Amino acid sequence: MQTAVEVKSFGKRFKKTIAVEDVSLTIQSGEIYGLIGPDGAGKSTLMQAVSGVLRFEKGEITVFGEKIDSEASANRIKRQLGFMPQGLGLNLYPDLSIDENIDFFANLRGVAPEILHTRKAKLLDVAGLSSFKNRAMKNLSGGMKQKLGLVCTLIHQPRLLILDEPTTGVDPVSRRDFWEMLNQLVREEGMTALISTAYMDEASRFNRLSMMHQGKVLDQGTADEIIRRTPGWLIEIESARSRELLPALNDAFEHVEELGDMIRIGGFALQSAEAERRLGMILQDGTESWSYSPIGLEEIFIQKLDNRSQNTPQMRLTENRSSHRKEAVSTDSQDTLIRAEDLVRRFDSFTAVDQVSFDVRAGEIFGLLGANGAGKSTVIKMLTGILPPSGGAGFVAGHNMATSSMSIKESIGYMSQAFSLYLDLTVSENIDLFGRIYGLSGKRLKERHQWVLQIGHLQKECNTSAGSLPMGKRQRLALGCALIHQPKVLFLDEPTSGVDPIGRREFWRILVQLAGELQVAILVTTHYMLEAEHCNRLALMQAGKVVAYDSPKNLKATLKQQKGQVLSLKVSRPYQAQSILESNGYSEVALYGSRVRLFSQEPETVGKDVAALLADKGIEITDVMILQPSLEDVFIEKIESSHSREA
Amino acid sequence: MMNLHTVKTLAYKEWLEIWRDRVYFSMAFIFPVVMMLVLGFGLSFDVEKMPFVIVDYDNSDESREYSYKFTSSRYFDYKGHARSTKETETLVAKADIRFVLVIPPEFSQKIKRGQRAQIQALIDGMFTYRASMVSGYLAAINGHYNAQLMRSWAMKNSGMTEHEVQAMLSPVSLETRYLYNNELKSIWSTGTGLIILVMLVSPAMLAALGVVREKETGSIFNIYASTVSRAEFITGKLLPYVLISYINISILCLLALWIFEAPFKGELSLLLVANLFYVASAAAIGILVSTFVKSQAAAALISMLGTMIPGIMYSGLMMPVESMSAEAVVEAHAFPAMYQLEIIWGAFLKGQGWSELWFNILILFGFVLLFWSLAILRFHKRVDE
Repeated sequence: MQTAVEVKSFGKRFKKTIAVEDVSLTIQSGEIYGLIGPDGAGKSTLMQAVSGVLRFEKGEITVFGEKIDSEASANRIKRQLGFMPQGLGLNLYPDLSIDENIDFFANLRGVAPEILHTRKAKLLDVAGLSSFKNRAMKNLSGGMKQKLGLVCTLIHQPRLLILDEPTTGVDPVSRRDFWEMLNQLVREEGMTALISTAYMDEASRFNRLSMMHQGKVLDQGTADEIIRRTPGWLIEIESARSRELLPALNDAFEHVEELGDMIRIGGFALQSAEAERRLGMILQDGTESWSYSPIGLEEIFIQKLDNRSQNTPQMRLTENRSSHRKEAVSTDSQDTLIRAEDLVRRFDSFTAVDQVSFDVRAGEIFGLLGANGAGKSTVIKMLTGILPPSGGAGFVAGHNMATSSMSIKESIGYMSQAFSLYLDLTVSENIDLFGRIYGLSGKRLKERHQWVLQIGHLQKECNTSAGSLPMGKRQRLALGCALIHQPKVLFLDEPTSGVDPIGRREFWRILVQLAGELQVAILVTTHYMLEAEHCNRLALMQAGKVVAYDSPKNLKATLKQQKGQVLSLKVSRPYQAQSILESNGYSEVALYGSRVRLFSQEPETVGKDVAALLADKGIEITDVMILQPSLEDVFIEKIESSHSREA
Repeated sequence: MMNLHTVKTLAYKEWLEIWRDRVYFSMAFIFPVVMMLVLGFGLSFDVEKMPFVIVDYDNSDESREYSYKFTSSRYFDYKGHARSTKETETLVAKADIRFVLVIPPEFSQKIKRGQRAQIQALIDGMFTYRASMVSGYLAAINGHYNAQLMRSWAMKNSGMTEHEVQAMLSPVSLETRYLYNNELKSIWSTGTGLIILVMLVSPAMLAALGVVREKETGSIFNIYASTVSRAEFITGKLLPYVLISYINISILCLLALWIFEAPFKGELSLLLVANLFYVASAAAIGILVSTFVKSQAAAALISMLGTMIPGIMYSGLMMPVESMSAEAVVEAHAFPAMYQLEIIWGAFLKGQGWSELWFNILILFGFVLLFWSLAILRFHKRVDE
């Protein structure tokens, strides 16, 4: 195989900060190579350097045999290169139609008119955009913008495709369609692709990948290799008495997470047999059911970072318990604290929120999920009384928020997406400021000040300015500030976006603690589908409507009843395997890197059939897994069935 | 080196974007017209209709006749009589009036007795230029009155005719004719001159925003990552703004003719060519600015200040270049505004044409090339951050 891109000890600094340090990687032609890591990992920097649009000081980058070291040499490879920068549709021209956008990119790239015509028709067809050709780009949905971006980047048939976070903030169906489209085009045109993502669950989509964090590569290879190199196990326990079990589990295992009605424990150093023994002792009577679940890149990422920085504060739920019990508000856990009743919001002719109903009880973490633009923030604004609804009503603790008094609004905690803190003030100054805004003073303010520092583990950072805190700590401070007046209801709008997996895990631990011990009703929005697992119940929004509303467990169980389990096969020639299966009547065969996936009610028998069929065509199967449907699968199913209902 | 097809693609896309963005599009045309009208009427240097009040302590036929000389003048706006100078103090302080004319008691007696009578003028000295103009007008009117007194005295005593007296008293008479601007209407000069200021600021701002907007959204990466050459990009960006600005400068020239009623005496073809090079050089300045900044706010501020200050101070609009300090003269020559001002005034007011001003055209063209090349040299497709 030929080498398409070679990066050798690449390094780049922006003024004083080091963006990327000593990164080396090789991309073979024809593969889909992934850069995976949270914000600030250096993915964009590396991609821009490979694209020849960013100068760098250290290392060497070679693309198709051309060393990229000057504007002139970079120019020589740009003909063969398609680059889509970060930000959904931001590189497109909002006032131009789909057709005009494509024509501009084609003319810019000197695509001959006769080729352009057929190529455009083909790409539009694959993207499913043919019938919207004359629509202005600014009026497209997030998913459509993303596909148009891809079409524009592909119009000149580049040999190397570089896409910077193409799937961030789009809905699960668009995400799946995007990967299908990309797989098809890469296969048909023999392209090489370098793609970055912040979603760890997308790792399986790549042939090979580099896992990055703070400018460094943590590990490289196929997702399977990386997982094999860091052996560990993950057990999910379903229990009705999770709160009782937690202390014992925390003592016995390294990683314990409370996810809705589930507890997930994991370990890397510990042998799984020993883990089973310890678990057996804790569960004893055994009314709980537990099962192994496949370990993902997210867990490995956290494990690798834990090894690097041993001083990361390990927070224990029990730690602050005594101090909280005093402050716990006595509320019946069946109290509905937040209720949305047929909420509707129209902006001119556009309906942003369409008859949304749900309720959130005290002590519950409720997830409001959806892509960017699905209407999540608008719902929150109506529930907090910032925005009057066009129809329906939002209630907090029984009060209609459109008409309620200021004092009720003050009993809400609200943390917005960004900038709720004053970045030039220190941690302590921020806390005091928010405290005084909510009318605290004297001893009371001091007490609450200490509480915020404690819950956010910020004791050491008292005098650091909020702006210089890492995102994870900054979000914990913002959370603390939103809680300074002890609200019973907490609204969190995308609290974890831009936070790395460790920071996210810490953040969720605090939320679980708040819900469990203080009986706070928490409504949280997110576009990380992985985070949905943390919620007791959730609502998935798609284009202003709620398309799924239940607990994660029930949602998955329902899908399992409907469609069965997931059969995942690692095969030698995935593209071929996919088309063979499709032509033999298997529906919804999806491609994940070197694996094909399909749903089946009888995975064992179907597995055998498929294996025979593929072996017949000379395709090797190296691994077979039977997986439970994920929430992502649920969401895709729900969105699609809501589409077909409308159609 | 430049692929015209690519340039056309870039320019057409830019034009479509401006055209579809109705707010931006209307701003592009409304801004210059508003700026021209506001500054044109606001920046008048004409000292006309200066409000004033008379304090007449004498109240005689003579004093009334003397007063009439002032109240009937088109330069002054008579606001009435006051009983004492005290009363006028607040009026001057509030700038309701600009000066007070005080006629002392015994004004008529003194004149009749052949004594010297003193008149007092209290002028608001805050604006020195206007104050000295007022004082000049007052002296002239006063002189006129003196001459009239002398004439009637001489006629009465010598029995000569008015003509003979005139010839004897002022043997040399001065006939003044103002060239190019016969009525000395400052709006003719400032009104036409403002075209160079407005059409320096507005193309520069539009073009700078046009590029920086793409930097802010990230669509500039489409250019960075493509095979488009630097010259193609700069030229493609420039052309739509040159077109818009050319339409604008033509509108402003018509405004100068219709609203400010300036005459047009020179060669039209010269003006049309000069306008094109001038707005092109201004837009190129904007593109050059855009290569230094990253945000739209910075682009707007820098391109506006960077053109407005030299446009006002070193163009010859406010002060003739010849009377500037040596450094200012150098700055004036290093900017296209001065050359275009000479062309505009030459074509509108002086009746000049190609034979007098061809060299200015050449220089303007030179500026276009200079700024265009600098922008190309400054623009990089492989950047530091």
